[in-house]
Amino acid sequence: MFERFTSDARNAVVEAQIVARQAGSRSIESRHVLVGLAEGGGRAGAALEAVGVDRDAVAARLRAQLSETGLDATALASLGIDLAAVRRRADQVFGEGALDRATMKRRRGHIPFTSDAKKSLELALREAVRAGSSEIHDGHLLLGILRNAGSQAELELSRSLAAAGTDAAALRSAVDHPEAQAS
Amino acid sequence: MTETLLTAAGDNPREGLRAVRALRELADRLESLQVERARELGWSWQEIADALGVSKQAVHKKHGRRI
Repeated sequence: MFERFTSDARNAVVEAQIVARQAGSRSIESRHVLVGLAEGGGRAGAALEAVGVDRDAVAARLRAQLSETGLDATALASLGIDLAAVRRRADQVFGEGALDRATMKRRRGHIPFTSDAKKSLELALREAVRAGSSEIHDGHLLLGILRNAGSQAELELSRSLAAAGTDAAALRSAVDHPEAQAS
Repeated sequence: MTETLLTAAGDNPREGLRAVRALRELADRLESLQVERARELGWSWQEIADALGVSKQAVHKKHGRRI
């Protein structure tokens, strides 16, 4: 499937990997891909702007969500572990912010996609087919995420569309006909 | 503590597995920090491996490249 990706679409996937690494994630989920698309200069970003979505705000909000998921304070609390206390102790011994930095050095190699991200990419293929396109561009990736109903990325994207007073149909139209939005 | 352990060893797999995953992530990070510090303090890979209860090869493979 990746061989049919345009360079913008490939860049978005590479960017998603960087976002995941920065957030200390073990895998790439569709929210990471959405950050890559929103921050990228391709058709996805242009389509979001065309329907009035503040793409920088979307990316920033997602990055904030994702950076918190590295260490699961709630789950650790269920084991009786006070993450804040561990963090304070680690700060004393290893320096400020050591615990949060510790992960980034480790994640050098390949980060796998979650099944949720794979599904979004497959749905992007379907969006390309629907549009009669022989290649998958980053706008299709965006629509693929939107089609992946119930995923966290889809929820965030739908919320952003609603907040901008627009909807999925308008976004699809903006992706399919970028020239119509330019005027 | 008895009550809290029930979650990880409890009857809800989703919550239990999430707790195990969180614990592993925390342990990995602490291991990374401790190994790095031990190396800075001049510990050999063998000494670190003994303290962690793993082989020297295992600890070197996991941490060797980045320190």
